[in-house]
Amino acid sequence: MSRDVMIDLQQVSKFYRGQKAPVVENMSMTIQQGEIIVLVGPSGCGKTTTMKMINRLIEPSSGRILIDGTDVTALDGNDLRRQIGYVIQQVGLFPHMSVATNVGLVPRMLGWDRKRIEARADELLHLVGLEPAIYRNRLPRQLSGGQQQRVGVARALAADPPVMLMDEPFGATDPMTRDRLQNEFLRLQEQLRKTIVFVTHDFDEAIKMGTRIAVLGDRSKIRQFDTPENLLANPADSTVAQFIGRGARLKQLDLRRVDAITWEDVPLIAPDKATNGAKRQLEQAEGSSALTVDADNRPLRWVNAHDLTTDAGALAGAGQTVTTVEPQATLRDALDAMLASRDGAAVVVDEHGRYAGTVTLDGLMQVIHHTPEPEEPGAGVPDQRAGAAPAAELTPEQR
Amino acid sequence: MSSATQIRAEETVLTPPSRWHGLLRRHATMPAILAVVLLGTYLWVNATDLDDIEQRALKTSELLRAVGEHVTLTALTTVLVVAIAGGGGILLTRPSMRWLAPFATGLANIGQATPAIGLLVLLSIYLGIGFSTTLICLVAYSVLPVLQNTIVGINQVDRHLIEAGRGIGMSPLAVLLRIELPLAVPVILAGVRTALVLAVGVATLATFISAGGLGSLIVTGIKLQRETVLVTGAVLTATLALTLDWLGGVISDLLRPRGLD
Ligand SMILES: Nc1ncnc2c1ncn2[C@@H]1O[C@H](COP(=O)(O)OP(=O)(O)O)[C@@H](O)[C@H]1O
Ligand SMILES: [Mg+2]
Repeated sequence: MSRDVMIDLQQVSKFYRGQKAPVVENMSMTIQQGEIIVLVGPSGCGKTTTMKMINRLIEPSSGRILIDGTDVTALDGNDLRRQIGYVIQQVGLFPHMSVATNVGLVPRMLGWDRKRIEARADELLHLVGLEPAIYRNRLPRQLSGGQQQRVGVARALAADPPVMLMDEPFGATDPMTRDRLQNEFLRLQEQLRKTIVFVTHDFDEAIKMGTRIAVLGDRSKIRQFDTPENLLANPADSTVAQFIGRGARLKQLDLRRVDAITWEDVPLIAPDKATNGAKRQLEQAEGSSALTVDADNRPLRWVNAHDLTTDAGALAGAGQTVTTVEPQATLRDALDAMLASRDGAAVVVDEHGRYAGTVTLDGLMQVIHHTPEPEEPGAGVPDQRAGAAPAAELTPEQR
Repeated sequence: MSSATQIRAEETVLTPPSRWHGLLRRHATMPAILAVVLLGTYLWVNATDLDDIEQRALKTSELLRAVGEHVTLTALTTVLVVAIAGGGGILLTRPSMRWLAPFATGLANIGQATPAIGLLVLLSIYLGIGFSTTLICLVAYSVLPVLQNTIVGINQVDRHLIEAGRGIGMSPLAVLLRIELPLAVPVILAGVRTALVLAVGVATLATFISAGGLGSLIVTGIKLQRETVLVTGAVLTATLALTLDWLGGVISDLLRPRGLD
């Protein structure tokens, strides 16, 4: 792992005049190129302040911040900010400018010619899923909240900055829109490989978005800085554990995808094939099911031996409905699909909807039991040290 | 090809059919009313037997001079007030000077709260009578609405827009020129309109310190008990005030940034 360090915070502090305690105290953090670092913590703990010191919207009182090896104070603040994407929860699209003008603001400040700015705006709108021909001339108020934030992201990406700062970017949208925006952004990031500092107070969002997560306490003190997996498995202390909240195991299901676990095979019954072979198989293994598929191998229904005894013509309507998941779905999605099915199994299908395998509750249980046990110190152990000790014990076990 | 036309059709639905249409609908009434009033006054004066004094006071050249003086006073006042109060308002909304804003509006309030005639007399004691004293009085009198509205108009711009602008690398000046001022224009212009109407009214007092204007007609009418002169002066003053207010409304509509509502 010899990736480049992109952002380096060295002992950064922020004091405000008239306040005894600093808002951010001796924060140090190294961020690699291409990572999404999530700063998560309770409201008022200094996440936004920490983030704004990176693009010098807030000047640090002490300490150094390096971006790609250069001290940020070496640059003019405005020039610095033109090279860093910036997205905020309130979006901040300028209401009197068209979508395209909003997106083209940074390129314009960088002195691009008009043709290039227009082309870039169209390209970016397309990238964030807004058809340029329809949306480029609209005003922000003619967009939904989710669309506005897409434009906000497009504006931040306009000059192709290597670093992006995002302050609760999806915090103001409804849960469904938020989920969609998160997914789209992750897909985008797979292409773009930006270095991103992402602020949220929602731990579930942190788990979903983060390459690594920094759980912050008061004054932006780093309580734990680790991958989502390790964080869920080994919370450093009771405060972190409390912040993770209940259901850490369930949250782990969000981290793993269907293609990361082993799939099982079930007998398939094609529409025109003789059912005898499958029937014999099903009778041997009592209680098991087969899957009827259509001519393109797309799953139709679950059937058991009993369904097959009726004549072949009636097979079409027999059996139980099938629930499907795609290989990229999370295990939580898979679990949901399994619970919706009578047989406790979800059928994995490829992007064309064709059968690829099945995943079952049993398979899922095995995965869960192979991941390290999360410690739950919330139960009657308010003392921080007592909470930290068992977590430390777990670490060697995990290696 | 067909999809392109469809898109265009959708856009026309989204944008209001025509700016001029709306402008006409909102602003056509006032000129019509003013025209009727002016015409009515003209016919009435024409139908009246005018004596010597009246004829002298209501000569076309005399009327034009009075209107000209009045308009000049008002226009200069407006220019000065916009420069002073607009510039001041901008300065007083900068983070470093924001704390001064209450003092400045307090000061401007004194100018406005003092009875206009008192202010005029006071100033003329120190500065002598004449045009520039009148101008200073008018400016002092109408600075408050513009100052206050500039401050309010800029301060009501969503802080997050300013933060977003700074966050993407706009300089403070660019934020002011491209975001704060355009979005504050409707409120600032409302202040300017108020100032204009105030200035037209107060400018009638100019005649007391020999600076002319429509006030001279009114004063002549009162002193010499000539109803026609008095009414003509009053009607012209009111018409001028309403015309300027109307003009302000049209300009404000034209300058209103898109995307607000
Ligand atoms: N300009 C300021 N002056 C004084 N205190 C501030 C200022 N800005 C923020 N703070 C304080 O700093 C703390 C951290 O704020 P912030 O970074 O916005 O927290 P978060 O983003 O984690 O909710 C808060 O307690 C807030 O009151
Ligand atoms: Mg915050």
